[in-house]
Amino acid sequence: MSREALQESLSAVMDNEADEMELRRVLSASDDAELRATWSRYQIARAVMHKELLEPRLDIAAAVSAALADEALPVQNRAAAHGPWRTVGRFAVAASVTVAVLAGVRLYNQDEVASTQLAQQAAQPALSAPQAQGPAMLAGFSTAGEQQAAAETASEATPGWHDQRLPAYLRQHAQQAVMNANESALPYARAASLENR
Amino acid sequence: MRFIPVISLLLGSWLALPAVAAEAQDWLQRLAEAGRSRSFQGVFVYERNGSFSTHSIWHRVDEAGVVRERLLQLDGPAQEVVRVDDRAECVSGSLADQIGDPQAWSAHGLSVQRLLESYDLRMIGNSRVAGRSAVVLALSPRDQHRYGVELHLDQESALLLKSLLLNDKGQLLERFQFTRLDLGALPTEQELQPGAGCQPVTASKAAKVAEAWRSEWLPPGFTLSRVAERRSPASNEQVASLVYFDGLARFSVFVEPLRGVMVEDARSQLGPTAAVSRRLATADGDVMVTVVGEIPLGTAERIALSIRGIEMQAVQ
Repeated sequence: MSREALQESLSAVMDNEADEMELRRVLSASDDAELRATWSRYQIARAVMHKELLEPRLDIAAAVSAALADEALPVQNRAAAHGPWRTVGRFAVAASVTVAVLAGVRLYNQDEVASTQLAQQAAQPALSAPQAQGPAMLAGFSTAGEQQAAAETASEATPGWHDQRLPAYLRQHAQQAVMNANESALPYARAASLENR
Repeated sequence: MRFIPVISLLLGSWLALPAVAAEAQDWLQRLAEAGRSRSFQGVFVYERNGSFSTHSIWHRVDEAGVVRERLLQLDGPAQEVVRVDDRAECVSGSLADQIGDPQAWSAHGLSVQRLLESYDLRMIGNSRVAGRSAVVLALSPRDQHRYGVELHLDQESALLLKSLLLNDKGQLLERFQFTRLDLGALPTEQELQPGAGCQPVTASKAAKVAEAWRSEWLPPGFTLSRVAERRSPASNEQVASLVYFDGLARFSVFVEPLRGVMVEDARSQLGPTAAVSRRLATADGDVMVTVVGEIPLGTAERIALSIRGIEMQAVQ
């Protein structure tokens, strides 16, 4: 890794603009004396720019990287031991961010509902998960295993007996109403949703 | 002084109740007739736990009163149905395999009087769906054996713009909702033409099936609307099926012989649809009874426990 790239990354970390790769690059090089010196110089320059008083000997970089190393190390070990879990962990982070974002949107919407649509305050319940539901999924995303997961059976005697039949039963049930022109489009949509796997 | 407005409010709402109830019934009646009298086209979404999809609909009523409708899924596989009056003309591949005889279905249209036996109907306000003004009707179940429904009807045409299925805790199980509805635009002949994947439905010669099974207990209001028999999806066994309907909700019962195979009971829930399988011992050997429907899991369980053979007495 070039010295220049490292310093760029360090600069990005300082400006709070580092991506994950840059942060890792800086952390892995945090034992590097020259990098620490650069860090200190940056801190002083920054303090001057912001007219802040700073004790240059206070090695923030060491403290921060030590704290982060404590957390980062076990993750790395686990990732080495179980490859797939590394990905899962990343999804988990991404998902929690998504949830936070959605929660923000939802709060915002609720505010709006409260102020403008008093008449139908409770008219927008969130889609809930009923008992024994399948895994929650994002829109338009499906996996081959969903049917089995959703139609979870405790069948040990003849495994797969229900798996072979339940999808067809569900389908047959849903399609009865599709054939009836007196119905709305709802039964058709219900039946179609069973095919989206 | 402070309670006078309250009293007048209470009195007012009490006096207005019969009128409101009549108005709600009137809206429901208009909904039942809307599809037979209005041409429209639009786009709607369907959402349940684990599934979200978007669909297009073209609905044309010509001068002679013939209703022609095409439904097409817009995302994922192109699921499609074309219906002319009361029968399906063509259905896309995966939807087709379970239909059987399209003529055999007794029409169960929306019967307002029948609905009111099992549901409490109220008008709960106004809303806006797909950019259109709507009135909101609530159908609350009179017992714990069915789910509640919230219907948003178009103010102008009484067409169903939005429908929510809610359980007893008020949790949403399913959403059907238009995102766009054009009442003025008459669907063209081309728009009503089925795509290449839509396979013509031909009436099969379905033999009259004798009723071999019945339920000793049914949730009030549900009546038998169809009996059928079809080959099992996984073997050569004949599977009997019974369909029950309460004017809004529907459930099916499937009875498949086990022929000595050891299978355990099972229960699952897919969005609004519960499925319960229970083994039943008969003189003819064990069978698996499976109840599938948009009813609470507990109700499905109780029905599954109540199925008995008509000719052969259950051994239990």
